Amino acid sequence: MTTNASQCSSFQINDYRSDLKPIWCPGCGDYGVVTSLYRALAHIGRPPHEIAFVSGIGCSSRIPGYTTAYGFNSVHGRALPIAQGIKLANPELLVLVAGGDGDGFSIGGGHLPHAVRRNMDLTYVVMDNQIYGLTKGQLSPTSHRGVHTVTSPEGSLEEPVNPLLYVLAYGANFVAQGTPADMPGLSAMIEEAIRYPGFAFVNVQSPCVTFGPPEQQLRAHKEGMKSLVSLGHDPTNRVQAMSMAQAYGHELYTGVFYRHPDPPPSYEKLVAERQDHMKATAVPRERLLDRFVQH
Amino acid sequence: MSDLVIGMAGAGGDGIIAAGESLTVGATLDGYHVIMTKSFGSQIRGGESSCRVRVSATPIFNQGGVLDVAVALNWSDFLKFGAELPVGPRTIVLYDSESHLDPAVLPVEGYSEDRAFSVPITEMARKSGGGDRVKNMVVVGLLTGWLQLAEGPTRKGIRKRFGAKDPAVLAAAEKAFDDGRAYAAANPIAALPGLGASGGAAGTNMLTDGNEMCASAALFSGCTFFGGYPITPSTEIMQFLSREIWKYGGSLLQAEDEIAGIGAAVGASFAGKKSMTATSGPGLSLKTEVLGLASIAELPLVVVNVQRGGPSTGMPTKTEQADLYQSVFSSHGDVLRPVLAPTSVADIFGVTVHAFNIAEEYQTPVILLSDQEIAQRKESVEPFDLSQFPIVSRREPTAEELEHYQRFRLTESSISPISHPGMAGGSYQGAGIEHNEAGSPTASGVMHARMNEKRFHKFAPLYERRDLFLIEGDPQAPLALVSWGSTAGVCREALRLAEDEGLPVKLLVPYLLYPVAEKVYQEFFRGVSAGLLVEQSYQGQLYRILRMVLDLPSGFESCAHSGAIPFQPSEVVDHLRGQAEKLGLLEPAAAAAS
Repeated sequence: MTTNASQCSSFQINDYRSDLKPIWCPGCGDYGVVTSLYRALAHIGRPPHEIAFVSGIGCSSRIPGYTTAYGFNSVHGRALPIAQGIKLANPELLVLVAGGDGDGFSIGGGHLPHAVRRNMDLTYVVMDNQIYGLTKGQLSPTSHRGVHTVTSPEGSLEEPVNPLLYVLAYGANFVAQGTPADMPGLSAMIEEAIRYPGFAFVNVQSPCVTFGPPEQQLRAHKEGMKSLVSLGHDPTNRVQAMSMAQAYGHELYTGVFYRHPDPPPSYEKLVAERQDHMKATAVPRERLLDRFVQH
Repeated sequence: MSDLVIGMAGAGGDGIIAAGESLTVGATLDGYHVIMTKSFGSQIRGGESSCRVRVSATPIFNQGGVLDVAVALNWSDFLKFGAELPVGPRTIVLYDSESHLDPAVLPVEGYSEDRAFSVPITEMARKSGGGDRVKNMVVVGLLTGWLQLAEGPTRKGIRKRFGAKDPAVLAAAEKAFDDGRAYAAANPIAALPGLGASGGAAGTNMLTDGNEMCASAALFSGCTFFGGYPITPSTEIMQFLSREIWKYGGSLLQAEDEIAGIGAAVGASFAGKKSMTATSGPGLSLKTEVLGLASIAELPLVVVNVQRGGPSTGMPTKTEQADLYQSVFSSHGDVLRPVLAPTSVADIFGVTVHAFNIAEEYQTPVILLSDQEIAQRKESVEPFDLSQFPIVSRREPTAEELEHYQRFRLTESSISPISHPGMAGGSYQGAGIEHNEAGSPTASGVMHARMNEKRFHKFAPLYERRDLFLIEGDPQAPLALVSWGSTAGVCREALRLAEDEGLPVKLLVPYLLYPVAEKVYQEFFRGVSAGLLVEQSYQGQLYRILRMVLDLPSGFESCAHSGAIPFQPSEVVDHLRGQAEKLGLLEPAAAAAS
């Protein structure tokens, strides 16, 4: 499935990079994410205007604006529903969704299971920094218990969510985790996710240099990350993937946790079949009300 | 008699709705004007149910008031509907003999003893062989007989209702119907005259409800995406489209919640498709943030709000007109969002088409403010020419405009050509964040002010849309009625009653509620000294909005009450007469009559 095959793309990284200067802090992990994304898109080679890139609210949700795709920096937590509407309206588009851990797992957390179970061909990249950066350092749904933030000055009392485990349990068919500490790996992973026919989820451990703790910075990632391949993980085994995902928050495993070996049909494929099947029964517009006539 | 209101109630299993529907279909087939409303107890299944059927040889615009004929299969269920099934001294009361009551001591107030009749409904049903489940068809037979309705169309109505079921069921239903008719023939009721000929063409009228008509208009308008979440009383819109929209290359998403429903609809619009969501008050509350997004991102979207009694869960199956403030004002920031309201099953088609056209033309969310009464009542509708409704689509950029494309370019009309993903050269950032002409985020106060001005100024032509108002009556009349939504139907009939008794009245019905087209109102109110704004909300929300924008004539008053119980034309006329008396407007004859 991975992808040296598409080196023939006529597009370059710069074709996907916009003129807008990111608002991110120097050293933010999100720079690595957007660069990895440019690389992945250049490999794939879809023209930028055939890409719709949806995000919510947060530092990372600014990302569509740094690309030349059609972007939609929407409202907090609602990127997934908007992206699904776009995909259904025009299944030919390459639809990307991105945001942070607060956007995806807290305010928008209710949308994730449904996006997964519908299995539209979307790629959802979460930049998970375990903190609310844009609002300057509050607890996030992936913050560790005990962490001290401006809204938990005495330490957080909550366990973090485990997004990898959730998404696997919801039935996602492609689940991976990366870090900008391994740019080639991240870029290949995003490319694979985009090429995967169905809902693909990539959790990126993307450090917040301003509010994040030292153990979650790129240097720590470089030292501590372990590739799932090196651990002998079998990515076709969902149960094993869930077992590996238990380490979220303790170990930084990178790579593909789970990839359904035989991808089921996407939602929009089923819709297209239904449309084809039913179109012969459409009455002409000018006769739409005939059904109501009593005779 | 050419206009009759029949009210019926029974227990859940009595099939009273099926009886009403059979009669309604029969009368429509025969060319009558018919409006049928249903009402249920709060149980999901098996509770008491009732319906009202108004049948008339002349056009009707509301469900009518005090019953001409009341049918009680049992009194405990009938009485649960209280003011929804009002009985008066002129009401013919028919009730099942099984009730074992003396006509003198019926539990219902206001009836006249000599107009109450005990009828062996259950006994006839059992004798017919169909058992208790065909009591309803006995009732249909009795009413067909006593009202001298044509037998053929009603029988056809029964066949339409039961034809798809077991042949034995249909046979039992028809037998019960025939037995009911025979009983009526053998036991005439002098006080119950026949309905008279319909005068209408048989076999040409439509029969449907507001939700299905609205959904049909969406398809007609070219809507190819619906995102929504089930909520009473709007759900039939989604149900209808879930059967139909695929045929037109469209798709539908039953979303995980109200927010996702409108979110998907906004996404589809961003992708270039005509798009819609439907909900009721509580759902609109949840959708409000995304509505604001559609406004600032300038994306066309139709949001149907089928009003019910509120606030909160309120009264989900009862009508009210108390979501006007919500529809007009609910947003943070400065937002102008057009709000349109239909008044009947007949006109919701055109008003829905207008909603799509305005959404597309002005790149804006539009709220179509329907209400439970219109949405769920069955109404006969005379066929109309659909080609009278032109279809508007959003203005896309030309090849030349795509060369240096700016999505939010400031133009003379303030409408900027809109691209969509897939269109080469048209890429931009749609955003909830304030943006410059190119669509890039900005924190500039100057740019924010310009963009706000653009987002308001683009609606300027809407204020001139006289076609979005209905005006009836004598243009010089000093008394004025203004009404909207389902209540407008009451006022259309009130106008006729008032004219009949010589009151100088005219009527304005806005389909466009907001923005307030000041000139249209100012012209209408010229020479008006008194009148009423009739609406079903405790506060009188349109009255207050008009007062915010306009100087109203000093004698023009709010005539408003809470929902569930509809206004009656006669009560509106009573108010008008009072105003006319105060002003000394009554001619001697009319004054004497009052």
